[in-house]
Amino acid sequence: MKGNVIKYERDNIDTDVIIPGQYLKVHDYAELALHAMEGLDPDFHSKVKEGDFILSGRNFGCGSSREHAPIALSHSGIKAVLALSFARIFYRNAVDGAFLLPIEIEEDAYSNISEGDELDIDIRINEIKNLTKNKTYKMKPFSEIIGKIIEAGGLFKYKPD
Amino acid sequence: MGKTLFEKIWDAHIVIEKENSPSLIYIDRHLVHEVTSPQAFDGLRMNNRSVRRPDLTIATMDHNVPTNNRTLPILDQTSAVQIQTLEKNCKDFGIQLFDINSPNQGIVHVIGPQLGITLPGSTIVCGDSHTSTHGAFGALAFGIGTSEVEHVLASQTLWLEKPKPFEIRIEGKRKNPHAVTAKDIILSIIKNIGTSGGNGTVIEYKGEGISDLSMEQRMTICNMSIEAGARAGLIAPDEKTFEYLRGREYTPKNYESLVDYWRDNLKTDSDAKFEKNYTLHVDNIAPQVSWGTNPGMTCDVTESVPFPEDFSKGDQNQKKGAEKALEYMALNPGTPITEIKIDRVFIGSCTNARLEDLIEASKVVKGKKLSPHVRAMVVPGSQMVKKQAEELGLDKIFTDANFEWREAGCSMCLGMNPDILSPGERCASTSNRNFEGRQGTGGRTHLVSPVMAAAAAIEGHFVDVREMDLN
Repeated sequence: MKGNVIKYERDNIDTDVIIPGQYLKVHDYAELALHAMEGLDPDFHSKVKEGDFILSGRNFGCGSSREHAPIALSHSGIKAVLALSFARIFYRNAVDGAFLLPIEIEEDAYSNISEGDELDIDIRINEIKNLTKNKTYKMKPFSEIIGKIIEAGGLFKYKPD
Repeated sequence: MGKTLFEKIWDAHIVIEKENSPSLIYIDRHLVHEVTSPQAFDGLRMNNRSVRRPDLTIATMDHNVPTNNRTLPILDQTSAVQIQTLEKNCKDFGIQLFDINSPNQGIVHVIGPQLGITLPGSTIVCGDSHTSTHGAFGALAFGIGTSEVEHVLASQTLWLEKPKPFEIRIEGKRKNPHAVTAKDIILSIIKNIGTSGGNGTVIEYKGEGISDLSMEQRMTICNMSIEAGARAGLIAPDEKTFEYLRGREYTPKNYESLVDYWRDNLKTDSDAKFEKNYTLHVDNIAPQVSWGTNPGMTCDVTESVPFPEDFSKGDQNQKKGAEKALEYMALNPGTPITEIKIDRVFIGSCTNARLEDLIEASKVVKGKKLSPHVRAMVVPGSQMVKKQAEELGLDKIFTDANFEWREAGCSMCLGMNPDILSPGERCASTSNRNFEGRQGTGGRTHLVSPVMAAAAAIEGHFVDVREMDLN
């Protein structure tokens, strides 16, 4: 999975800035995507490209249970969010609907990867290659449980062994 | 080895459990509202599924409902559609709905306990992160997303990873319990453990500082567990819990035999192990005021707005976060909290809009007038709270002081209905989140208790309510 990085160098990016409350009435996902990250970065919509990744700090997606948050990012083209840690509901929402991959990274990747870097992420071997900087980082592996839901393609496709 | 209360409830609800796989957990109660449910019902229709247990599912409308005159049509078309959609979905799938004209309408986390729907030892879910509120009754209650809402509607179960138990002890006695409230306790905890301090855990609150609290105050504590990142908050039920639920509209017929069982079983064993522990001593804590853009950015009312380098204790991301927060909040480090002037006051939300909250706030307001440059709203948590408050004459106390007295709903807590801040407006709010734009684009939120919000409304700036007579 290859893509370029949009970096937000801060902790606690909450669901209200990912998709502000006034848009929770919007049911058209393409329209929802127009307002993704609007609370934090009004230029997000103009700079995001299909296949991009977001890179951020700790506790990404804290706050509300709104599934509109991973949906808005996913329909903007974001394929994965790389963060030092995630808030639980956002993490599960991202995986349950197979909207995007929430990937936990270590400090070295967080500080080394810059805005615009091209990454190649391989979740089978838990590896992130930085093609721009010619470096490789480890991602934290998904728990077996989450891995199984991701592999199945979401909550409704998951069947127990 | 003994078990924690959380582990006992979890174990009692396992449908399937295997090592290194998600556990399938049975859900006893599913609360539904208009915002996170439409796609879930669409999913059921698309797959020709029905609601497995409509009798265990209850719906209301709270997030986007207007809080002004309800005899008028809803002006915002998208809100109106969302409300009509919930009405249709409940009708099609046979779910009981407390609609906008029902005397039982209100914020889902206020009406659940008030109607006796929330029961100790049960599992409760809702497509809303503040579902943790119901943990005050010894229920395992947590927020879920819309995919999971659909899964529960279809199967009455959820695939879950087991969270870890986290013990928070609250020790000591507050010197002035009218001025230093449950809100100040939970804000102090979040300030100390951080907004991700509880990630991946279920917090059990214990100790003298908890048993001293009323049920409504305990709900305020459990409500904000999610702001510390926890999956849920939990308090073992006691006689106060049993008394609160006795004789309510939906309290089960065999209630007393249930109480006997709960009394014997719903507690953490003395030899149970927690993954994490934290203790807060409440003897000397002060009223809290948030200064930043997450609930961890909070300080005592007697303090000043912190300098980012002092707040961050060397962490670069924390420092940047604090700088950005101060810029957004238009605050200068070193400014005493009591010198911060406010434009708006919001007394409401699932955190602090229950009857006791309104009674406490009314004591501050009685016989006084709102500061002339402040606009203040009181939004009761449910129509039942509103009615009870009116029977006590609280509406008159607030309106005499020039506060607005409104209909029940989530209102300005999350800015989905017309009750929002204008850009740049500064609000003393009894809600739970001070995120950027939460109460309206560009709005600035300071989280406080109901008495602190009421006092700020009268004075026009924050004041230390310990200096007032609140008895």
